[in-house]
Amino acid sequence: MKRLINLIVNNKAYEIAVAPNRTLTQILREDLNLLGTKEGCGIGDCGACTVILNGRPVNSCLVLAVQANGCNIQTIEGVADGNNLHPIQEAFVEYGAIQCGFCTPGMVLSAKSLLEKNPKPTEMEIREAISGNLCRCTGYQKIVEAIQAASKKMKKK
Amino acid sequence: MLLLPRFDYEEPKDLSEACKILAGLKGNGKIIAGGTDLLVNMKKGLVSPSCLVSIGRIPGLSEIEPQNSSIFIGSNLIVAKLTEFALIRKRYPMLYEAASVLGSPLIRNRATIGGNIVTARPAADLPPPLIAMGAKIKLKNKRGEREIELEKFFKGPGETIIKQDEILTGIILDEPPMFSGGSYIKLGHRKALEIAIVAVASFITLDKPDGIIVDAKVILSSVAPKAIHAVSAEKTLIGEKPTNKLIEKAANLASGDCTPIDDIRGSAEYRCAMVEVLTKRTLTAALKQAKKSR
Repeated sequence: MKRLINLIVNNKAYEIAVAPNRTLTQILREDLNLLGTKEGCGIGDCGACTVILNGRPVNSCLVLAVQANGCNIQTIEGVADGNNLHPIQEAFVEYGAIQCGFCTPGMVLSAKSLLEKNPKPTEMEIREAISGNLCRCTGYQKIVEAIQAASKKMKKK
Repeated sequence: MLLLPRFDYEEPKDLSEACKILAGLKGNGKIIAGGTDLLVNMKKGLVSPSCLVSIGRIPGLSEIEPQNSSIFIGSNLIVAKLTEFALIRKRYPMLYEAASVLGSPLIRNRATIGGNIVTARPAADLPPPLIAMGAKIKLKNKRGEREIELEKFFKGPGETIIKQDEILTGIILDEPPMFSGGSYIKLGHRKALEIAIVAVASFITLDKPDGIIVDAKVILSSVAPKAIHAVSAEKTLIGEKPTNKLIEKAANLASGDCTPIDDIRGSAEYRCAMVEVLTKRTLTAALKQAKKSR
């Protein structure tokens, strides 16, 4: 039986009827048409489905939509301010941290959560923070450099 | 895309309602907390409960409550919080160490301490330090509540003594004794999203900073159907003055205490050799801590 749930996604309130067996990834992509969140492995290994749920980055493929009832969610679509990219997104572009782009939304959201908690992370802390996000183009070095650059950029503001 | 089979979903507001629902389901229901293990198994078709009962909205199950000479950790507390509370880091550093190597940062934000226990995976990260520190757990059903030692909870891979109508509500950890220390080391091929090849948790208590070992627990993980005691290593340590030689002897005995299997992650022979190395390292770290503690 479907249930009515309330979500706040990227500061916008939604009321949606969902079946219990649908994941948060499915609801975001199929019902809200927010296609930035990707589904890779579907079992919590790859991090392509990363969203920020009540302030914490999680694998949305392992969250039931009904479990997220009443929660505040940020997806990659909510990171930029209109047409102005977030400093992390700018740094990803600048440093060539994007190749195929499939891991990018998850990487950006994991990096954003890190920098909000720890504005000046060490290289090890950055690698640890993105350790649940796999990049199969293996562009990790550039991703780490981009996050370091974003950290500096955000400090100046 | 991996799809979940159909199921009903219940979200009880308190424990007694949850117990009633679970009892009514007569074994066809499953508790869902973080879901990082259960939903994976359901997607793979390994389990298909007709109803999931969420404990996510039950007050008190997602907190750490310090009590007189112990702490109560609610079963629905996420693993990330075990790495964030200063109390855990300071008083139970071994639990902090194990929590910070579980899964990935994303998994730790959903996976719960209770889930890491009830799933009874032989390579689970939290049970070894919890067993080494003598943790007890609380199980509740419609008729009442029981408290048992965590180490008596496990039967084998995926198997525990929990009854189909019982809910794990929390973990009780006594305050560590004076002059005690513990250490947990997990060996994996990589640092995140890894299942241990071998893991060892050691916890020792001295009678005074330069005294003899009055209690020793060496728990070996991923080398038997469940986490086990290195019995002969523990026996060797107790009653002795800690020296490097003694630690080496205990470590050597520990490698004979386990019964690992060959699998994709490592051979039995390699695992035995690593048990010796990790036992030595964890005992050395535990001793250093014990000498400093209070």
